[in-house]
Amino acid sequence: MPAESTEIRIRAGGLGLTLVLSEISVLFRRLRTWAMIGALALIPILIAVVVRVSSDESASGRGPAFLNSITQNGLFVSLTALTVAIPLFLPLTIGVVAGDTIAGEANLGTLRYLLVAPAGRIRLLLVKYAGAALFCFVATLTVVVTGAIIGALLFPIGPVTLLSGDTVGIPGYFVRLLLLALYVTVSLMGLSAIGLFISTLTTIPVGAMAATAALAAVSQILGALPQLEWLHPWLFTNYWLGFGDLLRQPIVWNSFADNALLQFGYIAVFGTLAYGRFSTKDILS
Amino acid sequence: MNKNWRWLPAGIVPVVIVTAAVSGSAVAEAQPQLPARTAQELLEFVATSTDDAYSGTVEQSSNLGLPDLSLASPPGRTPSSDPTSMVLELLTGEHSAQVYVDGPDKAKVQVLDQLAQRSVVINETDAWYYDSSANEAAHAVLPDKDAAKAALEAKLQEKVAEHPELQNIPRTPAELAQAFLATIDPSTEVTVDGTSRVAGRSAYELLLTPEDATTLIGSIAVSIDSETGVPLSVSVQARGQDEAAFEAGFSAVDFSTPDADIFEFTPPEGATVTEAPTADEAKAHIDEAKARVDGKDQPAPAEEPVVIGEGWSTIVELPAGTAAQLGLNLGTGEAAGMGDIMEVKPGMDPEEVAGAQAMLEQALTEVDGGHALQTSLVSVLITDDGRILAGAVSADQLVAASRR
Amino acid sequence: MTASARATRTPSAGPRVSAGPQVSAGEFAIETRGLTKVFGRQKAVDGVDLAVPRGSVFGFLGPNGSGKTTTIRMLLGLASASSGDIRLLDGDMPNDARAVLPQVGALVEGPAIYPFLSGRANLQRFDAADRHTSPATRDKRVDAALERVGLSHAARKRAHAYSLGMKQRLGIANALLAPRDLLILDEPTNGLDPQGTREVRNLIRSLSDDGTTVFVSSHLLAEVEQMCTMIAIMSAGRLVAQGTLDELRAEGTAHVRVTTPDHADAHRVLTGLGLTPERHGRDDVLTAELSVPGLQPETVNAALVHADVRVRGFEASGASLEDRFVALTGEGFDVAG
Repeated sequence: MPAESTEIRIRAGGLGLTLVLSEISVLFRRLRTWAMIGALALIPILIAVVVRVSSDESASGRGPAFLNSITQNGLFVSLTALTVAIPLFLPLTIGVVAGDTIAGEANLGTLRYLLVAPAGRIRLLLVKYAGAALFCFVATLTVVVTGAIIGALLFPIGPVTLLSGDTVGIPGYFVRLLLLALYVTVSLMGLSAIGLFISTLTTIPVGAMAATAALAAVSQILGALPQLEWLHPWLFTNYWLGFGDLLRQPIVWNSFADNALLQFGYIAVFGTLAYGRFSTKDILS
Repeated sequence: MNKNWRWLPAGIVPVVIVTAAVSGSAVAEAQPQLPARTAQELLEFVATSTDDAYSGTVEQSSNLGLPDLSLASPPGRTPSSDPTSMVLELLTGEHSAQVYVDGPDKAKVQVLDQLAQRSVVINETDAWYYDSSANEAAHAVLPDKDAAKAALEAKLQEKVAEHPELQNIPRTPAELAQAFLATIDPSTEVTVDGTSRVAGRSAYELLLTPEDATTLIGSIAVSIDSETGVPLSVSVQARGQDEAAFEAGFSAVDFSTPDADIFEFTPPEGATVTEAPTADEAKAHIDEAKARVDGKDQPAPAEEPVVIGEGWSTIVELPAGTAAQLGLNLGTGEAAGMGDIMEVKPGMDPEEVAGAQAMLEQALTEVDGGHALQTSLVSVLITDDGRILAGAVSADQLVAASRR
Repeated sequence: MTASARATRTPSAGPRVSAGPQVSAGEFAIETRGLTKVFGRQKAVDGVDLAVPRGSVFGFLGPNGSGKTTTIRMLLGLASASSGDIRLLDGDMPNDARAVLPQVGALVEGPAIYPFLSGRANLQRFDAADRHTSPATRDKRVDAALERVGLSHAARKRAHAYSLGMKQRLGIANALLAPRDLLILDEPTNGLDPQGTREVRNLIRSLSDDGTTVFVSSHLLAEVEQMCTMIAIMSAGRLVAQGTLDELRAEGTAHVRVTTPDHADAHRVLTGLGLTPERHGRDDVLTAELSVPGLQPETVNAALVHADVRVRGFEASGASLEDRFVALTGEGFDVAG
């Protein structure tokens, strides 16, 4: 009798997409998530306001790329903000979200109830990863969209000059911005997988968050050392600033493809590590 | 309860990745089986390929023994547009460029820098250079191809009438190849050195080995696509160096015709556009200068460059004054120390100049009678009296040549 | 004492109590054999053979730290057993967890909540984790569970504002989100006031009436005694007793308590009957365990009278579970093992 009813229930359950939706709703019902998104939105706003207030042309040659172009076209605020956010702020927030995935639930004790429900360990890992991935996209999009809005408010906007010198209209530029957000999201997938793995190692979420963010910093430092050039193609941060290839005409897809392959490798390695760890772990919290 | 097998995927995945990486490069290094061809046939093949259309990514790397420029420039800066540092920059490190070619008339080269780009666009009527970091463009109107060709042909016929021996000028690819081989044959051994894979395509390896022992160049290898005859890569080996001193080649190539609009270019609004003089204007400019010089009865501003030696160990000597013209301040009598090598000219960023100077100081060594730049392929000697000698030989030989 | 208590342990045989018509589906809701969990060198659970009949309200008794929670974690597949087998609702744990766990409601080591979510949203979250539940009926089921534990009024309040008792109720509600065949409740009355404790007791009784097997762990004997038909007692990682309340009481031995000024004579008489009297506190009181089979208190009294021992008071006490519990665990209550 119990076997029969189980079968019926399994059929009724389907893919269990509801857990993904639940994960997303829990993630975005946290004040912390919104605080991080707010902080990311502040980056383009700060840049735009500072440039607007001190708009003398003498400050050339310093600072991130595109900074000089902002006064001519407000749409460049998005790009400037993105170059500022990629090395530090985005990895930091992703570290918080990815490091919290399993360790956070373990810390609250809710992990045991999810597993007893039963969520299934593999399924829970996948759902947690999907949540982190979505956050990456939302975080990136926040920077890009806020940048475009604040740029349009404070500066003149118009057709955008690409790196190749070609000009695209505003709709075309927004397609590129969307691609850009996608590129950066893909760039952060490897870090998210690392965070997920670290998160399965501990029940202290802060530790997992710090370790994840620190690894992003370490990888970037190693990437800056020319002595370690042989290592560079294997670093997950290697293509982080390669999004410029999407701003050429025609678009050069090489770094997109290389980046995707690299990130996929990281997802495979750390995903299986996370699986190995989480599926054999005793949940004692 | 042995659940250790769940760690198995975590063990397998890295192995798979490493295997894929290793076997990937093994495939790349595998030598394809191709019908044998002689050097002559290969050269003909190359000569027929000029009408081909293709696009691809070219990776270039230099290992000339120069200090890495990326260390000398402040971090976060896009590559400088100052010509001296640009040249030095291209001679060090690695670069990636996107190349589009459609026949002999249309080409586009994009040097891809991080968040910046330098492009050269050539179509039937115009040539453009664009630098995104400076937002500067240079434009030249190309002379009408057909008219120029007709004029050239007419001139040729004229000359042939005067000198019948010119009838032998190579016209067909086969003749071109023969002429090339005849020219380089005495000093160089040209061989077909097997096959290779470049950018996933099978290629013949053409190897040029200088027979001259004094040159720094060990050998030059050219990979030629086995289907189209397009050269896919060039690598220059320095004598006594394991790694290639200079390498450029496709990492990916696609032999379909690129879209026509790729070869169109309109400078963006707000860009500084410099118009290059047309051929006629340039000629007029030269004539005017000549006339002025003749009128004032002054000696010519500079002597002609002198060529010393022949073949691979040829040395070019630029006359005194050239160094000063280039803004190089060496040997102005201040024997002690290096002093300021580079002058700050108006319009140059002092910081950039300082950076470039620091690089030059690192690269230059003091030798008897001047300062030398010794790379694994080429040496340059700036003598104290302002002459510049350069050649694919050692600095010592340049010093010897300068005393001649 | 402890050693002798262990000797009286009824090994795996256990009591076979008929528990109604459900038995046919497999007699036991929970059955473990040689269940052992080793942390480092310490055996937290050592060779436990549990047999929980279907339909029973089963008390899982033991002092704090005796291995109850670790056992429950293994039953639910949260921790893996170092050795031994677990059958839960006729499924093999943890291999059949996906099929078995949807029919099991659990409260493990206290409730756990997302403090930033309302009580309702907390339950919706846990319900969504079970892929076998229907999203269409989720709201209805969540509300019903909240109603059942008396939390409807606070359903929309953020859970971090909940009192300990409210959190405990929320945890129980989570176990009741779907119709369950088995409930595993770890210390369900923790943090509840007497009123709440009574409510939980009634809830368990009504669930049991519906045919649900309830497995309740507790360190409080009184609680278990009031709710359960069967109990098992854990001590220091070992299962020291298992059976119905009556069986366990019967296994215990009665005591006699004699108040007499002639304690030397009384001692002699009792010893003569094969007992081992002990003097307690006051000089004139002797107690003895009726450890001789078939020996009745009245026989003891007659023997004393017959020997002219002046008896001021004579008291025979039946076996109490409390004595039994103390005897088996060798420790007082609330003492970490």
